[in-house]
Amino acid sequence: MSERPEDRVDRIVGALLRGRRLKLRGGDAEEKEAVVMAARLAAARQGSQLMSPAFRQRLVKELGATPRESWMTRRAALVAGLGVVAGAVGGGLLGRSLDGGGSQPSAAAGKVVQPTNGRWIDVGALADFAPGQARIVRAGAVGAFVTRDGDNGVSAVSSICSDLPCELWWDSSQHALVCPCHNRTFTAKGSSNGTYKLRSLDVVQARVQDGRVEVLGT
Amino acid sequence: MPEDAAEGQVVELPAAARVADVAIDELEMIYAFIYSRVGNRADAEDLTQQVAMKAIPRLRQGAPASAVRGYLFATARSVLGGFWSTRLGLSESELHEDLAMAMPQRGYSEESVERVRRVLEQLSDNYRRVLELRFLHGYSLKEVAVEMRSTVGAVKVMQLRALRAAAKVRLDE
Repeated sequence: MSERPEDRVDRIVGALLRGRRLKLRGGDAEEKEAVVMAARLAAARQGSQLMSPAFRQRLVKELGATPRESWMTRRAALVAGLGVVAGAVGGGLLGRSLDGGGSQPSAAAGKVVQPTNGRWIDVGALADFAPGQARIVRAGAVGAFVTRDGDNGVSAVSSICSDLPCELWWDSSQHALVCPCHNRTFTAKGSSNGTYKLRSLDVVQARVQDGRVEVLGT
Repeated sequence: MPEDAAEGQVVELPAAARVADVAIDELEMIYAFIYSRVGNRADAEDLTQQVAMKAIPRLRQGAPASAVRGYLFATARSVLGGFWSTRLGLSESELHEDLAMAMPQRGYSEESVERVRRVLEQLSDNYRRVLELRFLHGYSLKEVAVEMRSTVGAVKVMQLRALRAAAKVRLDE
């Protein structure tokens, strides 16, 4: 006895709802529109899906891609006219090249933009920087998003995405720096948002002097 | 390049590795795109892998992420077409409406979930209810029957008719 259409479709629906592979039999094509729709509804139930870590790892291996952790630490950014040094070792270099007083990046922050013959450039009054909001400034050739920290502190990150050479913009609704080239976002402090992390944004040195914000630029 | 290259040293990775790195991130979106159409992890993984294997060797070295994404989506649509064609005998023209949709502009399969919601809104109350309970809430046929004060047999028929009706809904994109 042939399977009734409603039984045929419910068999497929039941398998989909249990997360099973689409195994179709002869005759199932008669209800192809219903089957395609059932697959879409089953997917919608699960919402947005990410690859499992095991599958991602398998793909990475097969593609011969650089493992992400290695990529994050070894990938270097070379910005024209700017030397970029790692934050982890940058402290000592900073100490030799700067007169102090600038924000000191943490080791986790990654790399520090260090312009050759850099100079501190006034980018505005501290009062003009709203707490928690990143504001773009220009210090010669250096573009940066400056964020006010507390009453008297500031921090700054490069306005260029760490992954693609695109200028970021501040989305106040998301409270994030957005890269227009691939819709990846960063916090105002430069950390990558999302499950799979990009390298953090380069750190730009900034400080407050007599109520004025200064950025190390060119 | 030595494996123990010091932090901060300016290094350059081979362009091929760079493309694969970009592609891995973009393949997350491809995976979500495929999953939203096949509804299960095993098939989604197989098809994503097919996309990767087909597309990566043909990607231009040093390609920007946007170009990688466009190529991967074009390949994904082709692979999905082959999948449904093989499984159900659907022709490319029958799949056109479903697969020719533009690349999602938002992350992962949010647009697909939104699309399903809009499809359900177009259905009659009973059809929408049976699909919501069964698919979105994960009810068994028996539980749906109790909820809708019906029988398992009647719910099964209604589920089929609701799916057919949902498949006929055409949304203005």
